[in-house]
Amino acid sequence: MSLLTVENLTVTARVGQGGVARLAPVLRGVGLALDKGEVLGIVGESGAGKSMLGRAIAGYLPPGFSVAGGRVDFNRRNLLAITAEARRAMLGREIAFIPQEPLSALNPVRTVFSQLGEHYTHLGIPRREHRARAIEALAEVQLPDPESLLRRFPHQLSGGMCQRVLIAMAFASRPRLIVADEPTTALDVSVQARILELMAALQRRAGTAVLFITHDLRLAAGICDRLAVLYAGAVVEEGGAASVLSRPLHPYTRALELANPALSARRGLMVLPDHMPGLAALAEATGCRFAPRCPVRSHGCAEREIPLIGDDRRVACQYPERTLGITPSAPAPPHRAGTGEALLSVEGLGRRFRVGGMFRRHGVTALEDASFTLREGEFLGVVGESGSGKSTLARLIVGLDRPTTGRIILAGADVTKGDAAARQIRLANLQMVFQNPSSALNPRRRVGSIVAQALEAAHRPTVEREAVAAELMRAMGLDPALVSRLPAQLSGGQRQRVNIARALAARPRLLVADEIVSGLDVSIQAQLLALLARLRAGGIALVFISHDLAVVRHLCDRVIVMQQGRIVEQGETERVFASPQADYTRELLAAAPPDIGAPAPTRLLAIPPPAG
Amino acid sequence: MLRTLAWRAAVALPTLLVVSSLMFMALRLLPVDPAAMSLPPNATNADIAAMRHTMGLDKPLPVQYVIWLDQVLHGNFGQSIHFRRSVAGLVSNALPATIELAGSAMVIAFILGVGGGLLLFALQGRRSELALETATTLAMSLPEFLWGLLFIFVFGVALNWLPFTGRLAPNLPQPSGTGFLLIDSLRAGRLDIFWSALLHLILPASALGIAFAPPIARVLRASLLATWEQDYIRQARLRGVSETRLLLAHALRNAALPSLTMVGVQFGFLFGGSLLIEVIFADPGIGNLMVDAVRNADLPVIQAVGLTYCVVVLVINAVVDALYMVLDPRLRRA
Repeated sequence: MSLLTVENLTVTARVGQGGVARLAPVLRGVGLALDKGEVLGIVGESGAGKSMLGRAIAGYLPPGFSVAGGRVDFNRRNLLAITAEARRAMLGREIAFIPQEPLSALNPVRTVFSQLGEHYTHLGIPRREHRARAIEALAEVQLPDPESLLRRFPHQLSGGMCQRVLIAMAFASRPRLIVADEPTTALDVSVQARILELMAALQRRAGTAVLFITHDLRLAAGICDRLAVLYAGAVVEEGGAASVLSRPLHPYTRALELANPALSARRGLMVLPDHMPGLAALAEATGCRFAPRCPVRSHGCAEREIPLIGDDRRVACQYPERTLGITPSAPAPPHRAGTGEALLSVEGLGRRFRVGGMFRRHGVTALEDASFTLREGEFLGVVGESGSGKSTLARLIVGLDRPTTGRIILAGADVTKGDAAARQIRLANLQMVFQNPSSALNPRRRVGSIVAQALEAAHRPTVEREAVAAELMRAMGLDPALVSRLPAQLSGGQRQRVNIARALAARPRLLVADEIVSGLDVSIQAQLLALLARLRAGGIALVFISHDLAVVRHLCDRVIVMQQGRIVEQGETERVFASPQADYTRELLAAAPPDIGAPAPTRLLAIPPPAG
Repeated sequence: MLRTLAWRAAVALPTLLVVSSLMFMALRLLPVDPAAMSLPPNATNADIAAMRHTMGLDKPLPVQYVIWLDQVLHGNFGQSIHFRRSVAGLVSNALPATIELAGSAMVIAFILGVGGGLLLFALQGRRSELALETATTLAMSLPEFLWGLLFIFVFGVALNWLPFTGRLAPNLPQPSGTGFLLIDSLRAGRLDIFWSALLHLILPASALGIAFAPPIARVLRASLLATWEQDYIRQARLRGVSETRLLLAHALRNAALPSLTMVGVQFGFLFGGSLLIEVIFADPGIGNLMVDAVRNADLPVIQAVGLTYCVVVLVINAVVDALYMVLDPRLRRA
């Protein structure tokens, strides 16, 4: 008997208002089994229903969502039928959760000790033992100086440290099951590797079963025993992790794998059209939900419900044999470094911040002695972990901030000072694309007016603005009819395209993009990478800031590696990735999730012990 | 924390300076002549001119201000023209009564506000929420003096439950000491006086406090609703923390900050609102002193009372800042 069995679970959400409310199935007939000590990966993009599965197990669905059918049995009890009391007693004790955003998952006004203590009280541990238990638990998750850590507040810890505290809490009761919902998504790549290593060690020691929810197929490959791939609320493929990855049977699994740029070599990407159906579309959908995007679909796929069939290896596709025939639809962008004229030169750039109150002020160096040259039409990747100075560099280049030392030469003119003349030169030559399109786009303006904003400042007539907006929308692969929508009415991927379109409206020669694909799903990321690769043909130059090494390798001609405000290595992308010179570059490469099919990540151990 | 408070104090000084000079100028523009007022009605113009000279009223306005300021800095607020007593003495006699009243009113507003906010939050979506909403709107829309009159009529006259004039029963002696009856009576060991003072406070403090509770309740409910969506609430729930504990031990303190700002802003209004309440309840506080002073164009008293209001508001602001740091560790600098 399995520890956790999910049978035919259906969860619906109410969509629409009033009399026309409909029920959309966010989970549809999901069946899974998890044995004691097993790690099951739930892989899918946002909206696939993977987090909803975790919430259904916890018994806390968001308002408007309800279980429409099925069973969830844990340890021979039906979780859908137990009382609130029994559920509370079980949560945190037999089933524990590790969250996605460690920094916001701890109460900001309570100390680490007070929150650990509260949990120990819930577990029935006498108060006098709390301190000793807490110190032991924090030491177990390899946090330095546990004693002083207990008195600290969450904001005084890094994301990695918070996640270790939460992991210590989760394992405090030696639970039978841990649900980890994207536990490392918010963390830097080297921290991610160490957190996963720690979780694996604790999990093996305690014999805990883990439901590992993630959007990252590559990450899941490294740590899961079995994988279940979710699409539009249903499991489309399930089986042993190695088998699913080496021989995917469902076209979506294959497409997911091919949508990810590889770390070890530049390769073409699978770019799926459109996006996964949203809530409203789910209420209408019938047949194979993936059929509209499927590269190998046939007549009838969209009409018939396709069951998940097979024993140890299950797939919901009529033509699994066609899956391996799927090949990348977009070729790898060519490399072509260093031929054009210098467009942007940065010489000895530095930025120090003064922090502290009236007294005892001190300086913090965010950027130090950065020098590089970007040529016309070149794509330059800037990689590094949070706090490495990447965003400071971007802000200095676009003039949102002024350097304390060094010079910035743009299109042959010195724009270091940031005066009115420099502003004109910047406006004529560069544009910035911000990371989060939800907050970068004015929620009260229509898409068309957002896209053509740059022409407003130049007092171009309305007809021209509309024409340019429509043209840019088409270039971005967006329906020009969307111009009359508000940003909130678009999907995440569409919003980011609008965000890029707006930057392009001014016809810049240089685009500065700060983590513009990091919040997006892989299939949407692949679409944007293909889009950026198309832009390069138009001769635009790009400064592409990212923490994702594989994406940078895929897209950029040259790369800058930053650590603690300094450039530790720069050069042509292929050279840097093939034979990294700096120790830090080697560490970053080792910590990134390896490509599918690459040898197991024993190299993790080469990383020095953590500070975060 | 000390550094922030020191910074506060440094900002308070220029504020006081500006307020005092504005007040000084404004009062000098009134068509009243303190010299003439302080003389008997049969005084001649020469007498008045002589008096103006002794009082320094013939000097230019800025010079007068500097003289006044210099005296104030030495603790001398001058003589009241009407009461013929030292202004400092008058104010320090009246201030404790007002602080006691406003303080109790604030406590009542705080209890009602926090309780109401929690209740509004807990009842969300139910029919009783509407009833409570109506009650808070009603409490907010009546001005405090109407509440005062209503309370006097219902609980004082009709039901005869509570006293409604003065600070003590007439047969009881006023204990000596700080002027705060609740404190002095306890120090003197006179529980009967303490009890009488407390009973006398209930009606005026409730009348003053009741109108200030609803905004606190509403701000608290709104910030509780926002806090309830936070990751740390969800995560604590997934650890099996009960809903009551989630509200009281996790959400409340995080949601308290905006309400605290509200309380700080309101205390200034509340202190000002005590004026009418003191008049209605014959409470010998700053408010009554101010009314007498204004009626008699007693400029030194008006100035001193005005300055007192200003100081109180600044002190409350500083206290709120300090409380912010107590409640939210993120605001404390290492």
